[in-house]
Amino acid sequence: MKYLISASLLIICLAAVSLFVGVSDVSLARIIDGTADQRQIMVLAVSRIPRTIALLLAGSGMAIAGTILQMLARNRFVEPSTTGTVESAGLGMLVVLLVAPDLPVMAKMLVAAVFALAGTGLFLAVLRAMPLRSILMVPLVGIMLGGMISAVTTFFAYRFDLLQSMGAWANGDFSAVLRGRYETLWVAFALTIAAYIAADRFTVAGMGEEFSTNLGLNYQRIMAIGLVIVSMVTASVVVTAGVVPFLGLIVPNLVSMAMGDNLRRSLPWIGLCGAGLILVCDIIGRTINAPFEIPVGTVLGVIGSLFFLYLLLRRPSRVA
Amino acid sequence: MPVFSRRVAVTTFLAGVASLMVLAGPADAADITFRHASGETTFSKQPVKVLTFDIATLDTLTALGVDVAGVPKGHKPDYLSKYDGGNVLTIGTVFEPDYEAVAAAHPDLIVVAGRSRAKYADLAKIAPTIDMTVNSEKFLSEAEENVRKLGTLFGKQDQAEALIAKLNASTAELKQKSAHAGKSMLILTTGGKMSSFGPGSRFGMLFSDYGFQPAESTGAKGMHGNPASYEYILKENPDWLFVIDRDAAIGREGAAKKMLDNELVAQTTAAKAGHIVYLDPTSWYVVGGGITAMQKTVDQLTAAVDKK
Repeated sequence: MKYLISASLLIICLAAVSLFVGVSDVSLARIIDGTADQRQIMVLAVSRIPRTIALLLAGSGMAIAGTILQMLARNRFVEPSTTGTVESAGLGMLVVLLVAPDLPVMAKMLVAAVFALAGTGLFLAVLRAMPLRSILMVPLVGIMLGGMISAVTTFFAYRFDLLQSMGAWANGDFSAVLRGRYETLWVAFALTIAAYIAADRFTVAGMGEEFSTNLGLNYQRIMAIGLVIVSMVTASVVVTAGVVPFLGLIVPNLVSMAMGDNLRRSLPWIGLCGAGLILVCDIIGRTINAPFEIPVGTVLGVIGSLFFLYLLLRRPSRVA
Repeated sequence: MPVFSRRVAVTTFLAGVASLMVLAGPADAADITFRHASGETTFSKQPVKVLTFDIATLDTLTALGVDVAGVPKGHKPDYLSKYDGGNVLTIGTVFEPDYEAVAAAHPDLIVVAGRSRAKYADLAKIAPTIDMTVNSEKFLSEAEENVRKLGTLFGKQDQAEALIAKLNASTAELKQKSAHAGKSMLILTTGGKMSSFGPGSRFGMLFSDYGFQPAESTGAKGMHGNPASYEYILKENPDWLFVIDRDAAIGREGAAKKMLDNELVAQTTAAKAGHIVYLDPTSWYVVGGGITAMQKTVDQLTAAVDKK
C-alpha cells in the first residue's frame, strides 16, 4: 500500500509535468502567484487539463483492457491490437464514416464497440476451435485475424478515397484533444472501475473454464463481461485519440513479473503504470519536435516493439 | 582477312543506316519536341486523342478548348463536370492507371504529373507520354510554363497567352495587398487531425507566389506538413488562417469548420477579425496548377483580402 501511494504521487508529478509542457507558455509559478494572464489560464483549462486527463484515462484503460484480454485468452502475448479488437473497432469507424458521418461521438463509439466486440469474440472462437501447440500461436492467430479485418477496412477506404482520413486515427494522437472532445473516455474509466470490482473473477477465469466452473464461477458470463469491457475501452480510446499500441502488452507483463497475477492486487498497479507510460511517451512526442508533435502512437510503437522483442527473446521463465 | 571483310561489312551497314537517317531528316525537322519533367518526347503531328492522369492538365486543356478522351476516376471540380461520371473513358485512378484501358484507347498523348508521375515509364511504353509535374517551390512560374507549352503543342498559343496575362495581372494585384495583410498560417485538415504547411512546402505558393507573410515558426516543408495542435495556432496567433479541408476536396462532408470552432482558435487574431479563409479545396488539393484553378485561387485570395 505504501508503495502504491508513492507510485500514485509519481504519476501525479508526471501529470503535472504534462500540464506544463506545450507550445504556449504556461508556467506553474505564475499560476500559483496569480500573475498568469487570462490566456494562460484558458489554455490550461481548455487544452492542457483535458489532454492530461485523456492521457491518464486512455493509458490506464488500455493497460487494464490488455490484462483482462490476457486472462480471457490465457496468453501473455495478447492485447487489443494483437487480437483483432483494434482493427475491428477501426472497421466500425469506417462504417460510421461511410454511412452516417454526422453521428455524435458517443454513437460512433458504440458502433465501434459493437464491431470490436464481434472481432474479439471471433478471435476467442477461433482460439477455441484450434489446437494450440505453442503460446506464440495465439498472438500470431490474432495478428493474422487483425490483418484480415484491416485488409477489408483498407479495401473499402481505398475504394471510397478515405485512406488518409483513416490514417489519421490509425495512429494514436492526443493533439486534437480539447475540452468537450474527450469525454467519452470517462466511459473507459467507469469500465475500468467495473473491472476492478470483478477482478477476483477474472483471476479465476484466467485459470481456465474447468477450474472456474469447479469453483462455482459462471465462466461464460465472466467471459462476456470481460469482452464488453475490453471492447468498450478500446473503442472509446480509438474514437477519441486513435490506436494506442502495445500499452496493453508491456504494462501487464511488467507488473505480472513483479507481483504475480492476483488482479485484485495488481490492477491498480497496471492502471498506474499504463497512465505513467503514456504520459512519458506523450511528453517525449511533444518535446522532441516542438512546436510540432510526434503522435504518441509512434513513440509507443517504438518503445513497445523493443519491449515485445525482449519478451520474446528472453529466457522463458514466468511467461505463459 | 576474314576480320577485315567483317569490318567492311559493318562499315557498309553503318553507312547505309546513316544515309537512311539523312533521307529521313526532313520529316524529323517537322517534329515537335516537347521537353518536360521526365525528359523529352517527340511528336510527329499534333496529338488528337489525349488521355490525362493530371487534373491540372485537364483543367488547362479544357480552358484552351481541347477535348480530352480519357480521365482518371475521382472527384473533379464543377467546371470539369463533363469529365465526371460515365461520359468519358475512365483510365484508372491517378495512382493506379488501368493499363489495358489506356492501351486499348490507342492515344496520341498521355499526360502524367505529381501523383501519377511514378507511372511515367510504364505509360511511355504505350504511347508518347509527357510529365507535367510542377515543383512546388517554383509553382507559379512552372505552372504557367506548362500552360504555355500545352498551348504550343495544340496550336492554341494565343488563348494560352491571354489566360496567362490575365492571371499575371491579378496575381500582381494580389501580391500588393497580401504583403501588408499580416502573418499567415496554412493548415490542412483531414479526419479530425491537422497539419501546418510553411514556405517551401507543398502548399508553399501561398507565401512564395501569392506573397503572404508566414507566421514565425511556420516552417513545415515537404509533402505532408507537420502535425499541429490548436495550441500551436494560438501561440503563433496568425492574422490570417488559411484552411484546406481535405475531406471536402475529395467530395465528402468537410469537417474543418467544426474542428476549428473551439475556444483556443477563437482567441486568435485571425478568428476575431473573421480572417479564417477556407480555401477552395479542389483547386488546392485536386487540381493544382491548372489555369482555371490558379485563376480561381488568386480571385478567392484577392476577395478575402479585399473584404477585411
